[in-house]
Amino acid sequence: MVRLLSIPVVLLAVMLALLLLERGEERADLVLASDNEIFTLDPQRMSWLGDMRMAYALYEGLVRWNPEDFTIQPAVARSWTVSDDGLTWTFQLDPDAVWSDGAPVTAHDFVWAWKRLLLPDTAADYSNLLFAVQGARELLMWRSEQLAGFSPSPGAAEALLAETDRRFDASVGIRAVGPHRLELQLVHPVPYLLDLLAFAPLMPVYRPAVEGWTLDQATWDAARRDGWHTINPPPWSQRGFVEVSESTGRLQPDHRWARPGTLVGNGPYVLDTWRYRRDLRLVRRPEGSQADEGMPDHILLRSFPDPNTALLAFRSGEVDWLTGVSSDVRRDLLDQAATGVDGDEPRLTRSIHAIPAYGTDFFSFNCRPTLTSGLPNPFSDAAVRRAFALATDKQSIVDHVTGLREPVASTMTPPRSISGYTPPQGLGHDPDRAVDELASAGWYRDADGTLADAAGTPFPSVELLYTTSSPRHRRIAAALRDQWSKALGVDVHLVSKDSKAFGADLRAGDFMIARGRWYGDWGDPTTFLELFRSTDGNNDRGFVDADIDAALAAAAAERDAPTRMNMLAAIEQSLFQEHMPLLPICQIVEVTMHDPTALSGMTTHPRLVQYLGDVRILQDQHP
Amino acid sequence: MTPMRRMVLSRLAQVPLILLAVYTLTFALAWLIPGNPLQRDEGRRPPAAIAEAMQAQWNLDDPWTFYWSYLGDVSGVSWLLGDRTGAVLEFGPSLRHENWTVGEIISGQLPVSMTLGLAAMVLAVVGGVTLGTLGGLRPDTWVDRLTGSVAVIGVSIPAFVIGTALLMAGGVWLEWFPIGGWGSWRHLLLPAVALSLPFAAWIARLTRQGVIEEMRADYVRTARAKGLPEHTVVTRHVLPNALLPVLSYLGPATAAALTGSFVIEKVFAIPGLGMHFVDAVLGKDLTMIMGIVLVYSTMLVLLNLAVDVLYAWVDPRITVGAAS
Repeated sequence: MVRLLSIPVVLLAVMLALLLLERGEERADLVLASDNEIFTLDPQRMSWLGDMRMAYALYEGLVRWNPEDFTIQPAVARSWTVSDDGLTWTFQLDPDAVWSDGAPVTAHDFVWAWKRLLLPDTAADYSNLLFAVQGARELLMWRSEQLAGFSPSPGAAEALLAETDRRFDASVGIRAVGPHRLELQLVHPVPYLLDLLAFAPLMPVYRPAVEGWTLDQATWDAARRDGWHTINPPPWSQRGFVEVSESTGRLQPDHRWARPGTLVGNGPYVLDTWRYRRDLRLVRRPEGSQADEGMPDHILLRSFPDPNTALLAFRSGEVDWLTGVSSDVRRDLLDQAATGVDGDEPRLTRSIHAIPAYGTDFFSFNCRPTLTSGLPNPFSDAAVRRAFALATDKQSIVDHVTGLREPVASTMTPPRSISGYTPPQGLGHDPDRAVDELASAGWYRDADGTLADAAGTPFPSVELLYTTSSPRHRRIAAALRDQWSKALGVDVHLVSKDSKAFGADLRAGDFMIARGRWYGDWGDPTTFLELFRSTDGNNDRGFVDADIDAALAAAAAERDAPTRMNMLAAIEQSLFQEHMPLLPICQIVEVTMHDPTALSGMTTHPRLVQYLGDVRILQDQHP
Repeated sequence: MTPMRRMVLSRLAQVPLILLAVYTLTFALAWLIPGNPLQRDEGRRPPAAIAEAMQAQWNLDDPWTFYWSYLGDVSGVSWLLGDRTGAVLEFGPSLRHENWTVGEIISGQLPVSMTLGLAAMVLAVVGGVTLGTLGGLRPDTWVDRLTGSVAVIGVSIPAFVIGTALLMAGGVWLEWFPIGGWGSWRHLLLPAVALSLPFAAWIARLTRQGVIEEMRADYVRTARAKGLPEHTVVTRHVLPNALLPVLSYLGPATAAALTGSFVIEKVFAIPGLGMHFVDAVLGKDLTMIMGIVLVYSTMLVLLNLAVDVLYAWVDPRITVGAAS
């Protein structure tokens, strides 16, 4: 018996020992909760909104957005000028801007970060953001070709890198003209260039930190005083976070620089702790302005994989700001907030916010002439696509299916999201016209109501592909099936796949109709409309139209801003009244929770970029 | 060499072979997951040249290269050959969370899952044995029916319901416990209770069955006949024998509890390994999948061996290895 009892006792002792090794979380001034994981804190490697929110706290770009209307404000760049032809931009940098290790922020930091964004070695999702810069695309393509054909030999990798640097300096239009003066040379004017420059992937990074330089103290002092560009970089063997691979020729990065202790930023906060998928703590930079009354000194991001638990944490006051709230969680709260009725928990009712965002939910039509099965594709005919769009009652979907009462969308660009641009109207709900459109395409409803061509061959069974990632997608797909089979007499069946398999099908064009969602990246309609260029890398629909391509090219060349916006509106109108490459359903609505009597400075603009340094704490919620 | 030592040594010698088989099978299955861990499933895609560069950087364009180079890294062979410096066993960086290495993630998360699992097993043993003994001593009375129904509830209610209910009661209404997170006994108690319930219910069943059987045994009558008080009969004579089936159940049960519960970790926002393993599979994070599976397999093999050794230690009548 003693031996038997000793087993649980030993287990208990081990458990207590393990527990003692753990460190609890202290409550911060501002606690955010999110189901979104942080994938990386390296701005050039970012593509997720959750990562970028952290980037806007840890780094500061040349310019930033005004969170009210998303106009551009100076940040590291104090002022800028643009040449008459719109091709040469010159930025004057703040001479007092410093990195969190005390070194000055210089034009060389931007040049190096942008070169890094461009090089295929970094493999950045947004490496094409700077393709309008002179020589940028060519450099990326050149180095990619060199790497693909690389044959290992002693010194070859470093020689290739030296040649890459030489070509960058000689041919790419990104130049530091003095420590605080930056010049950009474009191939064609980009009216929204400043908006791009505020975007996280274009944040500067501190080269000695990213490469993990080892330097002696005197050299460090010099680098911190005058900038790293004034000293010779250490040999590769003394750069802890990067190596030049002799076998592939690539720069092989070790991404562990972007962690507490080694990450150096120039934003209002520094990274204090980060525990994998658990929590991340930011501390305000000590040299920040003292005038910012109520600016949180400590910010804690906590990871809640289960949205129900996150909501419970908000209810109990452990969390101040909740993003990505699922509409399934508390539909009653959303209803109360929408109708202005206080429920039995007024704090919850006033804390829930449904914000129309800078993105659109839609269903893509496969526009290719044949399906991957080899069968002819009925959706290659624009009239059929229009018919399916006209047969869709989007209002009933947002009222009864999604539960969020999103603004229905008839085009891609969300309304009131881009100043100077009013999206046109696309096709609405008109079942009678839908039947006419089908007839014009040679499809008629026969006596028993099924859709068939003149020879009696029935309309092919329509596959509707969606992802299993959220019940929302299944519900919308089921609603579309019912609406289409009722209005058009087509047989629709639902196909669900997990997001990896779905993504693979989408890229391969192996679908008839597939759900989709697109968020804009920059404040210009082209962030949505370039999807419809036939050669665009995100043209999953296989939509090809020479007129649209030509019109997009013409708009890109137009210098007069209002004229250009009109040209883009005409393109969008043509797309969604005639071509209908995809069926927009609604504007995406983000549901967040924060108590407006406790926090201010939270943006409600569709772009939804929240600078954490703009948040103000109004009162102590937790006395 | 005693049979015991021979058994332990031969089982340990099998470990590398088992792990190689696990590695190969897991690799084949993980490679078959559609898609690419480095690509976003939705949203803007990088230029084709960049996508190819990403693939090449991590050998994702060639299964054989990946299989052999990763095998060299995780087995320590490439370290022995001098191809690589640093740690002897290297799981590499996570493909989806590139700022972390798989080794760091596992060493950070596994203790969390283990602490929770151990706490749950302690609760399960204490609760299950108590309930089972009470029921077994008074079979078919109201005590038995009450303890029996508690056990049935423990088995049949899904963990996420129990978990949410516990959080609601303990965290929101009573405000005794924090909502989710990790770091103190207050974070531990609710999830440990939720995780222990199905185990406790099963242990209660086994104990009850054992107690009922042993109470009918001749040695119990002898013990009573020589005038031992009833509680001594039960604790000294009945329980040690009645609990042997529980002990053999504890091996696999502890292994299951230690490797982390996806549902419990998710509901209680506990940064354990169970949840991240599921996410790694969904995201096709090859290095994470391989790393976690290898660590889990090693743990399972060693735990099973430990239980066999313990069994012989607790009950000296059992001689390991003698039968075979």
